[in-house]
Amino acid sequence: MAEKGSVIGCHTVAEWNRHLQLARESGKLVVVYFTSSWCGPCRMIAPVFADLANKFTDAIFLRVDVNELKRVALDCAIETLPTFIFLRQGNIVDRVVGARKDVLPKKIELHMRK
Amino acid sequence: MAVSGFEGFEKRLELHFSGNDPLGLRRLRCDALAQVLDAVQCTVVSAVGNRYFDAYILSESSLFVYPQKMVLKTCGTTQLLRSVPCLLRHTADLGLRLRACRFSRGSFIFPRAQPFPHTSFAEEALYLEERLPPSLCFRRACVLPSASSHSWHVYAAADDDEHVAAASPSTFTVEVCMTELDRSLARGFFRRKGDERSGDAAGADMTDLTGIGGISPRALLCGFAFDPCGYSMNGLDRDRYSTIHVTPEDGHSYASFECTGGGVEVIEWVRRAIGVFRPGEVSVSFRMAEGGDEKQVWSATSAALEPLGLSCRSQAAEGLPGAGTVTYQTFTARGVVRP
Repeated sequence: MAEKGSVIGCHTVAEWNRHLQLARESGKLVVVYFTSSWCGPCRMIAPVFADLANKFTDAIFLRVDVNELKRVALDCAIETLPTFIFLRQGNIVDRVVGARKDVLPKKIELHMRK
Repeated sequence: MAVSGFEGFEKRLELHFSGNDPLGLRRLRCDALAQVLDAVQCTVVSAVGNRYFDAYILSESSLFVYPQKMVLKTCGTTQLLRSVPCLLRHTADLGLRLRACRFSRGSFIFPRAQPFPHTSFAEEALYLEERLPPSLCFRRACVLPSASSHSWHVYAAADDDEHVAAASPSTFTVEVCMTELDRSLARGFFRRKGDERSGDAAGADMTDLTGIGGISPRALLCGFAFDPCGYSMNGLDRDRYSTIHVTPEDGHSYASFECTGGGVEVIEWVRRAIGVFRPGEVSVSFRMAEGGDEKQVWSATSAALEPLGLSCRSQAAEGLPGAGTVTYQTFTARGVVRP
């Protein structure tokens, strides 16, 4: 189990389902970062995402490579990267598309308050 | 006409590379890209990618990175060509070889405000002559004229006189430059006082409210609204990009639209884009594969712009190494008195 404050990489569907289940049980906000090795903007935002995971320790930060988990990416309707999805109780409550480092922290704060 | 102001007219650089890596240029690291943009004096404001390419909105226009092609378009007083030596170093590190280079721009509204090497087209051509590798041995610089003092400047270099096999023969690239924007429409690109939202959020609104969202409905659009005014947008539609940049201030208002695609659809998008801004003057430049019919392009474009009240004042075309054929047409709104 990864320590609090770090980004958890989901490499298999089983891992993905397990982390979502744990999040549902804990009631915590989940922020999922969809990324890929072919995407330059993803490389730009990766350190920002890691910093946010460090800062917002009461939320769960997951990372999904769309080539590894094609089905999950399809289910979440991911077309452009990076895409960040916000989940509460297993439901998608928000989405941010693009390497928007000013918008991300604000969205996290917004959804943490709810 | 303002004495001085922000220069909307962009300088555009398109570079084609080849190499063994399917990811090619997309492997360029963030710090390498940052160095290139530093040389140009601009920064990344927003970025997104799909399976075909990466699209960056910059503080002064846009950057598109495909595995084998890069398009860098910057406005204001940026020194666009200073990106070239920096890029050549970083791409060499990745084992990529430059195959073709094309630099193009219109005529600046404020030419005396431009820094080296953009003080003149001769200076720009010389700068490239001295820095492009000798393997790009087919070179040509030309100025396509119009009926006024405005011209379209193109410098092209390639290692092969034939069209560099990057685009299919049916793919066109169009660059549209618009000035004297309709004042009430241009007001849509000013941020409202007290609007505290991010540039992306305000940009998304502007995209919808101004009708830009309707130009190419299939594309995913990323708009950005600058403070206190100005707007940039990158569109992604599978492997095709589009981009719009707006300088709305009265006296030197300017908007540009650029995209790639098939001939018929591109002309339709051009017509819609021009409809958004209702400019007093427009220039349209197409780049098409060698052997393309410029007369057909001229007449199709004129026919599309005629119902918008725009009359064609000039048309020109030139063949360029590695760039196929480039056309240049200028239009003015009918009923407007020209000095």
